[in-house]
Amino acid sequence: MKESSGSQVYDIKVINRKVNNMTKPILRIQNLHKKFGSSEVLKGLNLTVDEGEVVVIIGPSGTGKSTLLRCINRLETPDSGEIYLEDQKIEHGKTNLSRMRQKIGMVFQDFNLFNHLTAIQNVAIGPVKVKKIDKAKAMKAAERELERVGLKDKANSYPAELSGGQKQRVAIARALAMEPKVMLFDEPTSALDPELTGEVLAVMKDLAKAGMTMVVVSHEMGFAREAAHRIVFLEDGIVSEMGSPEKIFNNPEKQRTREFISKITSLSGEGSA
Amino acid sequence: MSMRYTEVFNSIPYLLQGVGTTLEITIYALFLGAFFGLLLALARVYGGNISRRFAILYSRIIRSLPLLVILFLLFYLGTEVINFSEFQAVILALAIHTSAYQSEIFRGSIQSISKGQMEAALALGMSKTQGIFTIILPQALRRAIPYWGNEASIVLKDSSFAYVLGVLEILRRGEFVIARTGQALITYIIVGIIYLILTSILTKCLSIGERKFRIPGL
Amino acid sequence: MLEQINFFISILPKLWQGLVVSLQLSVGALAFGLVVGLPMALARTYGKGVVKSIAVFYIEIIRGTPMVLQLFLIYFGLADVGLVLDRVTAAILALGINSSAYQAEYFRGAILSIDDGQMMAAEALGMTKRQAIINIILPQAFRLVLPPWSNELIYMVKYTSVAFLIAVPELMARGKMIISKTFKPIETLFWVGVIYVIVLSLIAKIVDIIEDKVSIPGFQMSREEI
Repeated sequence: MKESSGSQVYDIKVINRKVNNMTKPILRIQNLHKKFGSSEVLKGLNLTVDEGEVVVIIGPSGTGKSTLLRCINRLETPDSGEIYLEDQKIEHGKTNLSRMRQKIGMVFQDFNLFNHLTAIQNVAIGPVKVKKIDKAKAMKAAERELERVGLKDKANSYPAELSGGQKQRVAIARALAMEPKVMLFDEPTSALDPELTGEVLAVMKDLAKAGMTMVVVSHEMGFAREAAHRIVFLEDGIVSEMGSPEKIFNNPEKQRTREFISKITSLSGEGSA
Repeated sequence: MSMRYTEVFNSIPYLLQGVGTTLEITIYALFLGAFFGLLLALARVYGGNISRRFAILYSRIIRSLPLLVILFLLFYLGTEVINFSEFQAVILALAIHTSAYQSEIFRGSIQSISKGQMEAALALGMSKTQGIFTIILPQALRRAIPYWGNEASIVLKDSSFAYVLGVLEILRRGEFVIARTGQALITYIIVGIIYLILTSILTKCLSIGERKFRIPGL
Repeated sequence: MLEQINFFISILPKLWQGLVVSLQLSVGALAFGLVVGLPMALARTYGKGVVKSIAVFYIEIIRGTPMVLQLFLIYFGLADVGLVLDRVTAAILALGINSSAYQAEYFRGAILSIDDGQMMAAEALGMTKRQAIINIILPQAFRLVLPPWSNELIYMVKYTSVAFLIAVPELMARGKMIISKTFKPIETLFWVGVIYVIVLSLIAKIVDIIEDKVSIPGFQMSREEI
């Protein structure tokens, strides 16, 4: 359905989504503030993500990209501001938090696979312990998730026996097993050797195609071009500019965005389109 | 009741006189143990086949023996075979006991220094001995400090076994106070506080030492 | 030599009885230490306020005072206030309390050595902190704690010898009884030592095998490593 080359395509993609009336907001972030000590990382950030949308967040380091993701599922507690998932407010309080987190899948930069569990146990533990699903059923489902990320044959391997790329794919399967409404990716390929990023990005692209709502912090410009519906340029704690990949890559409004894009594309060895 | 407590409290100076003996035993045993422990560690890492085997066997046997067994063995050796005092027997027993543990500490820290350090020393034209003493040990001993500190506090606490042979350290004096006053609980609590203070001071000193000798990145 | 061996054979039955008591004391004390030590570790690591303070206080007081003193306090000291314990109970209690402080620290060390990301990932899946501790942190901590814990097991058999000081008839005490009967202190102590060395080597071997059985890739740690 989605083409992966030709810059016009992206606008069509966005238009298609609008025409098909898919623009139901699923995640709303309002006026988010977060301070670490004296340095304010998020300064009143607003962002809305639509159902089925793939949003790639880029920006200079230290501008709060990871903090934003970690505030969404409350691994960090925001100082102020509200976050709504499907119109339900995410807040502290045990039951609410656990329920909301179940709907938000998180993929970490350094995988964080549970070291004492095999790949398939890693995928199944969430459904079994949190959703209280029957173990045999959960294992079956976990097997399917592993198959989806191409790792069925590694089901019984421990994390220490997997490559970085494989670990990250298991981590994605683990998040998917909870059947989340939104998937958050926190620089999912930055801890990987360059030759291993491809397999992880491929899984993510498949996921995007399948219509998963994704918020991805990443500087993989190839992925952003191909899979993103919208690119958000974060700077200085707020959304400084956003738009379709076409617009951000070719016609950014702000000089800073242009500089950042050109720096990052030249670093990753891609010519700017 | 309170009269008896007063009697115990009045005995505190008498108890404190034992601190000197306790520290004396601890320090002698600790440093004797360090000396032999380091020799054993070097034998184990750099020694020939025989010295290495001896070091391993020594460490394994001594670490399997309760301190009390070593203590009584030396006591009887001291009274029946060779002639040395209870005080000396205690120090020797503690030193033998701790030397085995210290040899493991030093061995571990020596082996934690990367091979490249010795190779670089040899490449500069140093002999192996020079390499050990000027390059490896200065690094290894720094790394050993926290573990060594732990061992020091163990030796301090173990020195209380000296009471078994009648050496007048803190615990033994405590026994005398109890015999006189009949107040076991309060006396033991006071003795405990004295030990607690000693071990805290020791830990403090060692962490200061650790900071003082620290080298960035080591 | 033959005379020595004959002597050994003659004292072996008594020493054997002592060894059995030593092992019983060890098992009792270790179990007690585990039951008290693990909650202490959790309280010190995850607890707040008073709970944490109590755990720190407990652990530091026990680690800062000699084992013998703890034993005497429990056996003779408590009798002062009317709490008279029999010798074996007192020994297990003293050894167990002592061990609990060290076991608590082993567990705490193991928990602290687990990467923060493990807890984060568990929470991100929707687990509560309690669920995460039970399902993710503790299973890893139990494996990580195995090497120091097996050291504790081995040392505990040695430590039980202090029970002889309150006349519990364990191995060391049996040795002393034989000495006072035969007047052969050095020979007797030699054989007592031999038994300790053999038994501890055996236990070390068994522990090695168990550690090997439950090992998981990525959790290799050797016992003698410092």
